[in-house]
Amino acid sequence: MHSYYTDTPCTWCDGCGDYGIWTAMKRALVELGYHPWQILLCYDVGCHGNGADKTRAYTFHGLHGRVLPFAAGASLANPNVPVIAFGGDGASFSEGVGHMVHSVRSNYPMTFVLHNNANYGLTTGQASSLTWQDQPMNSSPNGIPERTLPSMDFIFSLEPTFVARGFSGNIEQMVRIFKTALQHRGFAYVDILQACPTYNHLATHDWLLSHVYDANSEGHDPSNFEEARRIAVDTTDRISTGILYQNEDIPSFYERLIPRQQRKTTAVEEVERTDVSELMKEFV
Amino acid sequence: MKRISLKVTGAQGQGVNSVGEICGKGLKHAGYCVFGYREYMSLIKGGHSGYQLDVSPEKLESSETTVDILVNFNHHGLMQNWQEVKKGGIILHQTPMWEFPSEQQKWLKDNDITVVYLPVEDILKKMKAPNILGNVLITSAVWTLLGQDDDVLKELVRKQFGHKGEEIVQMNFRCIDEGTAFIRDDSVQPLTLPAPDLKWANHMYLTGSEAMGLGIIHGGCRMYVGYPMTPSSPLLSYIADKQNETEMVIKQAEDEITAVQMMSGAMHMGTRAATGTSGGGFDLMTESLSLNGIIENPAVIVLAQRPGPATGLPTWTCQGDLLLAVGAAHGEFPRLVISVSDSQDSFDLMPEAFNYADEYQTPVIVLTDKHIAEALYTQVPYDVTKAEIRRGNLVTDPKKLAKLKSADRYDPTVKDGISPRWLPGTEADVYCAQGDEHDAEGNVDESASNAIAQMQKRMAKMTALHNALPEPDLIGDSNPDILLVCWGSTRSVVDDVLKSEEFAGASIAYLHYSFLWPLKTEKLLQLVSKAKKIVLIEGNYNGQLGKLIRQECGLNIEERILKYDGRPFFYDELHRALTPLLS
Repeated sequence: MHSYYTDTPCTWCDGCGDYGIWTAMKRALVELGYHPWQILLCYDVGCHGNGADKTRAYTFHGLHGRVLPFAAGASLANPNVPVIAFGGDGASFSEGVGHMVHSVRSNYPMTFVLHNNANYGLTTGQASSLTWQDQPMNSSPNGIPERTLPSMDFIFSLEPTFVARGFSGNIEQMVRIFKTALQHRGFAYVDILQACPTYNHLATHDWLLSHVYDANSEGHDPSNFEEARRIAVDTTDRISTGILYQNEDIPSFYERLIPRQQRKTTAVEEVERTDVSELMKEFV
Repeated sequence: MKRISLKVTGAQGQGVNSVGEICGKGLKHAGYCVFGYREYMSLIKGGHSGYQLDVSPEKLESSETTVDILVNFNHHGLMQNWQEVKKGGIILHQTPMWEFPSEQQKWLKDNDITVVYLPVEDILKKMKAPNILGNVLITSAVWTLLGQDDDVLKELVRKQFGHKGEEIVQMNFRCIDEGTAFIRDDSVQPLTLPAPDLKWANHMYLTGSEAMGLGIIHGGCRMYVGYPMTPSSPLLSYIADKQNETEMVIKQAEDEITAVQMMSGAMHMGTRAATGTSGGGFDLMTESLSLNGIIENPAVIVLAQRPGPATGLPTWTCQGDLLLAVGAAHGEFPRLVISVSDSQDSFDLMPEAFNYADEYQTPVIVLTDKHIAEALYTQVPYDVTKAEIRRGNLVTDPKKLAKLKSADRYDPTVKDGISPRWLPGTEADVYCAQGDEHDAEGNVDESASNAIAQMQKRMAKMTALHNALPEPDLIGDSNPDILLVCWGSTRSVVDDVLKSEEFAGASIAYLHYSFLWPLKTEKLLQLVSKAKKIVLIEGNYNGQLGKLIRQECGLNIEERILKYDGRPFFYDELHRALTPLLS
């Protein structure tokens, strides 16, 4: 893991869930045998995004809410380089929610990790669309009038090919999830419930710890869509974690591009002056 | 230069475009330079549309406001366009029992205009031919009115419908014979076209969008991402339709922000990618433009202009987004703004757009407009051996990669601010493409000294770019008394006017800007010091290039010909506007 180390000091709060996710991702990459130069990590804007220069790899730190299409474009240009996008619940389910819809349905060959702390941490604790409705937050002292967006139900309605949920306090499990996600054929959606000790006083580390359970160790079959959706959505008593759903039968967006199917090269390798003589003929 | 013109009008979906296109291609094959101009409304069926062909044995790239032949698919054209017919011209229509009101009849008679009724339905019924062949019938009548031999037309029809079988071809041929016979029997005097020049026969007849699409493909672009918006949609359509031939990665995105971000991600990875949109979509892309500025990522965005504000006139033309392209997005960062003007530079400038983007690692915005995007040009086949692929300081050689350090990526001490760029997936020291202000490695650095160093690094590229760009093109008298200044689609019509008899021999020239930002003004100021008159010609309200010129060198061009009615400058209109300059 040393190769992924940088001298840049972390700037997250003590007890922030970002540390766990950061550590688990590095370990997953090492266990999969990737060198830092073989991968591209793309970060949205938010507390997690401040980790863009805290991991030694090819990284990218973009605009708020827009990490998915950038990462998708990168993955299509060179599908040989694993692309992982990270985004917070604020960016991913408000500003960039449209990208989420289309990334899932496009089934891009990439991984998305949701840093889900149910608030806008970096802008000092405003409510996100995943914040519980009656929870008073910065800028909403009476709680938000809007209903909370049921993110898992929403994601499952888009017919995803991979859904997992982890908890920032369980590095072992996150490593397993990330490794599986990175090897998934299409778009892997990974929701990591994370503690925000500064602004989320409800779903704290201890609270999450006492509510999560590993569905896979309880025998959940990730190929069962209906059951996966049920246990993902129903969080009344306990919160399911693990690989909730995976379908490897659906080709990725890239695989569905008919003109690319016979190509051995990537778009990155193909940049050269292209003879358009044949194309000009139809105009004569 | 002798030029003639014809216009086909009708409801959208009636076949106006197909008749226009066959006649256009046919005339080109017969040895004429053809310029096709299309007008239509933002709807699919109904609506009044037109396809005008201006024709000459010499080069032309403009339209006139009046025509020699007006073809009407329905009575709307007869009611709206009748006054556009020139003295001695012909109106061809297929509306049964149509009679012009007496006042109009008098005007038509006074102007020696022949009105021909082609009973399309009756002829088709007699032939037992399906209605769809009405277009062929009309085309053949027009063809005969143009005094053209039907062999050329038949050859084209065979080319177009040959794959549908000989029976269909023969049915088409019979229609052509009927249409030809009808005009001959009606003893209408056909038009006399000037003698053809067969050099045009092997030229292409294509839209500016197709030209730009070919240029994009030629320039090594391997991924195109777009979201439909007129007038950039034909570019998306062309490139997408050719994906099985080019094997490019094509994505119709869910919105323009996605389109620009996907293009940016693909560029960051190291391919050549592009996106295209119109003003409203470009507005949505601006934040991403700024991102590309700070991460020093090559980006190519086509901005196809149409009149705004807001939805404006969606299917019409203007040059109103120059200042948008120059000023869009927050923060200060280097950018290049280019404008194409016709089918030649729509092709030539696209590989250059990618080259500059790669060399200066910054966004390049390529302006076009509805007029260029949808007009049809008679174009000499492109030289496909000329374009260069210059990728600037992109490091791919393993030996050189091994020597790179993270801090080389955004090294603020490099010459011209152009630091080495290398790609994710290549074995080298890694870096962060950082959207926050960053140090040389891409780590966040909010110190004042670093902010200054990085801003100066990036803006040094702008100075270098300014120095590297060519001065604008001067066409005409090299030491002119009258200097016209223009950019974009306006160039073609200015060129046509200056080639007319009336302007031959006058001390006049035009200075055409392809590279608009950073703006070169040295040549302009030299010319201005000697010229007696300077006139700015632009398709917008504010005289936006004029504003840029004044901003950059203090020159205020007071005499301006501006147009902002959604229409391009027409040949006769501009001819009239410029004629007083000669006295």
